[in-house]
Amino acid sequence: MTARPLTPPPLQGPTAKEKKYDRQLRLWAASGQQALEDAHVLLLNGGSPGVVGVETLKNLILPGIGSYTIVDGNVVAEKDLGINFFLTDHSLGKSRADETCKYLTELNPDVQGYPVQKSLRDFLGSAIPSDAPDRLSSLTNPNALDKYSLVLFVASKQNYPLLRLVSSYCAAKALPLFYLHSLGLFSHFSTQLPDPFPIVDTHPDPTSTQDLRLLDPWPELQAFAKSKTENLNTLSNHDHGHVPYLLLLLRFLTDWRESHDGNPPSEYREKKEFKSLVESKARTDNPEGGEENFDEAAAAVLKSLNKPSLPSGLRQVLEDPSSKQLQQDSANFWLIANAIQKFHQKHGSLPLPGALPDMKAQSQDYIQLQNIYKAKSRRDIEEVTNSLRSTEADLKRQTPVEAKEIESFCKGAAFVKLIKGQPLPVYAPNAKAPPTSLQNILDDEDSLLPIFLAFQAYDHWLHENSNTTPQTDPSAPFSSSSSSSSEEAKPPLEALKQSATQTIDLNAAGDGPQINADDIMPRIEPILAEFVRAAGAELHNISALTGGMVAQEVIKVLTKQYIPIDNTCVFDGIASKSAVFRL
Amino acid sequence: MEPATTKPVATKRERYYRQSLGAVYGRIKQSRVLMVGAGGIGCELLKNLVLTGFAEVHIVDLDTIDLSNLNRQFLFRHEHIKKSKALVAKESAGKFNPHVKLEAHHANIKDPQFNIDWFASFQLVFNALDNIDARRHVNKMCLAANVPLIESGTTGFNGQVQVIIKGKSECYDCNTKETPKTFPVCTIRSTPSQPIHCIVWAKSYLFTEVFGTSEDEVPEFDHTEDSENAAEIENLRKEAHALKEIRQSMGSDDFPRKIFEKVFTDDIHRLRNMEDMWKMRQKPTALDFETVSKSNGGEVGDSVAKRDQDTWNLAENFTVFCDSLRRLSRRLQQAQGGEANGVSHVLSFDKDDDDTLDFVASSANIRSIIFGIEPRSKFDIKQMAGNIIPAIATTNAMTASLCVLQAFKIMRGDLNKAKMVFLERSGARVVNSESLRPPKPDCPVCGIMSSRLVVDPLRATLNDLVQGILKSDLGYGDEFSINNEVGTLYDPDLEDNLSKKFSELGVGADSFLTIIDDDEENPRVNLSLSISEKSLPEDSKPVVLSQSLDIPRKRTVDTSQAVEHTNGTTEPPAAPGKRKRAGSSSLDEPGIEGQKVAKRGKVQDTDQEDDLILVDGPSQGAIVIDD
Repeated sequence: MTARPLTPPPLQGPTAKEKKYDRQLRLWAASGQQALEDAHVLLLNGGSPGVVGVETLKNLILPGIGSYTIVDGNVVAEKDLGINFFLTDHSLGKSRADETCKYLTELNPDVQGYPVQKSLRDFLGSAIPSDAPDRLSSLTNPNALDKYSLVLFVASKQNYPLLRLVSSYCAAKALPLFYLHSLGLFSHFSTQLPDPFPIVDTHPDPTSTQDLRLLDPWPELQAFAKSKTENLNTLSNHDHGHVPYLLLLLRFLTDWRESHDGNPPSEYREKKEFKSLVESKARTDNPEGGEENFDEAAAAVLKSLNKPSLPSGLRQVLEDPSSKQLQQDSANFWLIANAIQKFHQKHGSLPLPGALPDMKAQSQDYIQLQNIYKAKSRRDIEEVTNSLRSTEADLKRQTPVEAKEIESFCKGAAFVKLIKGQPLPVYAPNAKAPPTSLQNILDDEDSLLPIFLAFQAYDHWLHENSNTTPQTDPSAPFSSSSSSSSEEAKPPLEALKQSATQTIDLNAAGDGPQINADDIMPRIEPILAEFVRAAGAELHNISALTGGMVAQEVIKVLTKQYIPIDNTCVFDGIASKSAVFRL
Repeated sequence: MEPATTKPVATKRERYYRQSLGAVYGRIKQSRVLMVGAGGIGCELLKNLVLTGFAEVHIVDLDTIDLSNLNRQFLFRHEHIKKSKALVAKESAGKFNPHVKLEAHHANIKDPQFNIDWFASFQLVFNALDNIDARRHVNKMCLAANVPLIESGTTGFNGQVQVIIKGKSECYDCNTKETPKTFPVCTIRSTPSQPIHCIVWAKSYLFTEVFGTSEDEVPEFDHTEDSENAAEIENLRKEAHALKEIRQSMGSDDFPRKIFEKVFTDDIHRLRNMEDMWKMRQKPTALDFETVSKSNGGEVGDSVAKRDQDTWNLAENFTVFCDSLRRLSRRLQQAQGGEANGVSHVLSFDKDDDDTLDFVASSANIRSIIFGIEPRSKFDIKQMAGNIIPAIATTNAMTASLCVLQAFKIMRGDLNKAKMVFLERSGARVVNSESLRPPKPDCPVCGIMSSRLVVDPLRATLNDLVQGILKSDLGYGDEFSINNEVGTLYDPDLEDNLSKKFSELGVGADSFLTIIDDDEENPRVNLSLSISEKSLPEDSKPVVLSQSLDIPRKRTVDTSQAVEHTNGTTEPPAAPGKRKRAGSSSLDEPGIEGQKVAKRGKVQDTDQEDDLILVDGPSQGAIVIDD
């Protein structure tokens, strides 16, 4: 072709990267992807065999986190090859950090991996006093973990003091921390999220997000409803069957109020009555013998005619001190929350999200209706923005909050969620889980909580025995580098049971109902027996599954989208079931 | 590194999983399993099988690797794009465990080489597929071969694993599956009212008419209302024909203009003149090529098509429309130029092919603007036109692992402990399981009798089956029909085929015949006969059943059993249901190693068959797809 093209050719797009990530961008969008790419995940993989940590990383490298670091002082042993996919025969005898890092990096050239061949103790700083393990000053470098966005800690023999240290560190620096356990057919993980951990983009079920304001229509909506329904009875069959159901409801609500002292139907009985009223207005003498728009109207009565109320998640946000007492350096989130709080105080309702469901209607009516909702939504957002700008000025803030951030908060306000992160629920000699969790086991015979208690007992036993059984690598419970131990020591069941009894007693020593360890032990013992049988072994399949679950939660935390598990999850590979607890 | 085949080495390597699996490990080590599909779930599954000691795994996949697979199908790299998934998966996974025997088939699972005997040679089959058709086929083959099937699928954060065992649990087809949405032809061609109508128009009408074969048999079109609109349907045929004429000028400079004026000017004018059509609708507005191209005014840069998350305006859509039309024309012509014998080439729509997507997105949007419908972004249109299912590594990892957990139960012979498992993003529980439901008596696939039919291809006629087997041996009356995939071969009013040989009827080895009993009073369940060919001795019948059959009668509505189990679909009961079982915890379902369980006292072992069930319903319908 020689002639000049009519229009210049557009560039080929989207980019290769967007294409590679297309299927996940549909879940967390470009903003979520950016958050992943900005993240640096730290894996503290002191445990042996440590497959669960590597599998978790795999599921983070594939979707493209920015970078990761593996800290692992172990050397690859023969038996690692059988269950760790990211090792080959050539890895034998080499650093496990180096080798797993090498094969993991092959998964995605966009991701940077950094191996650190050190024991956790060495990595974190050797001067950890045993009497005050959570003293951050004991770290040789008190900012050692600052460059990471999230920490994964795989259970290991030297668990307790190191975990306490990392947990305190992460709490102080608002760094999310995950603690992972995989043993035989069972696994467990707990999260320690920053407090507060707010989520704006919770991706609620689309059907639950409709906010139509039928009980509180604004003038433009009311006027449109009036113009379309004034002569309802004289409309042609076609027009009558195409009045959008929202407008029908508004019209019949007006009628209802006139005969009910200006009140809308509120109780269930009244709503049923109102629904019958709507149904009775449909024409049935047409060829179809009914009208779809009236069906839609009747179906919407129970779920759409509700007085606006403040959802509990948002209430928690608005009432949080951080939202009420703004500082110059308050996070944007709190600034917006504060502006929305003011909006709500003034209007008794939240900014209108503005989305409209599909409905039977003529195109131009639907479009007009859409515009009325959108215009109102825009006005509301503008009002929130203006109030926020004046707060910014009062606080003398330099960078204004981006309009997009304000908009997405306004539109999803009803579904905003605030998680108050709390310390990891792990075994500690003087700490205790609330007795209610023990009561939970007694009340619910199907509870999976005994799995958590069994892991606690196991950790306890490891801790108690960390100094008595010498290991070549102190951070490994069953050293994989030791050539002498052909048959590794199994934890004795009796000792584990004793640990379990102790942890239960500790847990039960609160103010709550008295709980007898004997009532709970029968539920824990079978799990402990499985632990003994597994003898420290991970089953690849369970670790792969757990790696999938953990990575999914990590992605939620890093992208600040969807609501992550708060704060403990256990998996039972015999029943193929998991359960979540807040402990 | 010395070859690690010597016993002590292998043992050390196996130490971890041998320890965890206990007694079942021996069986796993000698097993031969089949994995159909090497995509998202398949890659994960293969890794898990290789690392839990499965000895021999066969992989079948006909697909090749695409860039958009790499965010989760971790056995594939950039350099593998366009290569066979099955072969690359085998190669990548084999590297990590040289002790497992992997066999890859880059082929369609429906190919005749994969016959019932072949299926029967596996202890277990895993379905890790992305389409209903292939899933159904494997389901049918596994039922016929009596091999347990573990069926799985994911979409976004949701996943599902179902164990299918002939006669013991529901099969894949016991529950009806959602069928793709269709639209009346007139809605698409004349009176669109939603963005999806314009997208279907652009993809299934305009694109195929200009670059593909023809509009006639497009699955999205619903022809049931055609007769009511005969006149308009006739007009539309003429329009399509005229568009084909324009196709001849492909490659000329005014090709975009011709197409534009045909579909966005002339056809719209014609529609506007059908006054009846617009009594109750807003009339569309025809566009003028000159005006639109001038409205462009050079403002629209060449990066429009890249901004796939924005909604383009008319001028931007116009730019992309003209440009993508040129790109596609060039491709089609180049393809045709390469062929000497004038084979007519066609392009087909592919959501991941930007040229085709740009064309569909821009023409759909221009049509939307004409009809007063809101345009959409290219990103959205891609999803709507391409039926894209979100897919991520984490869900696949979990789903594949759950498949293997079910495999352990099957390998142990604990079929009644196998589960149906659901994964969900929301709710307090991430993984839920429920007991398998018994087969549906009226299932068209598993609620039937099946048998092998040995046929002597040189002698056997259809009559040998009708008279020699069905009527005399099995006691069928006069009212029944014989059917195959193509249609009915025999019924009381269709006797022409009786004298024909099986081969003449296209009924060859490994094909199926279905005998439907139409007896009014007490019909038999359908009989499915899979054909084997073998020359039989002269003195025997030319058609022989491989076994004697006692065919059950169709059950009328069975209320006694159906109540509890027949709740419609593959979905678990509505959330948040919670059924409690009296007696014991999950742990009385013993661990994998039975022996140890016995040692620690099997006191609670009385109530195993119905393990506890905690069920939350998934937020939407049945999960059907993964790739």
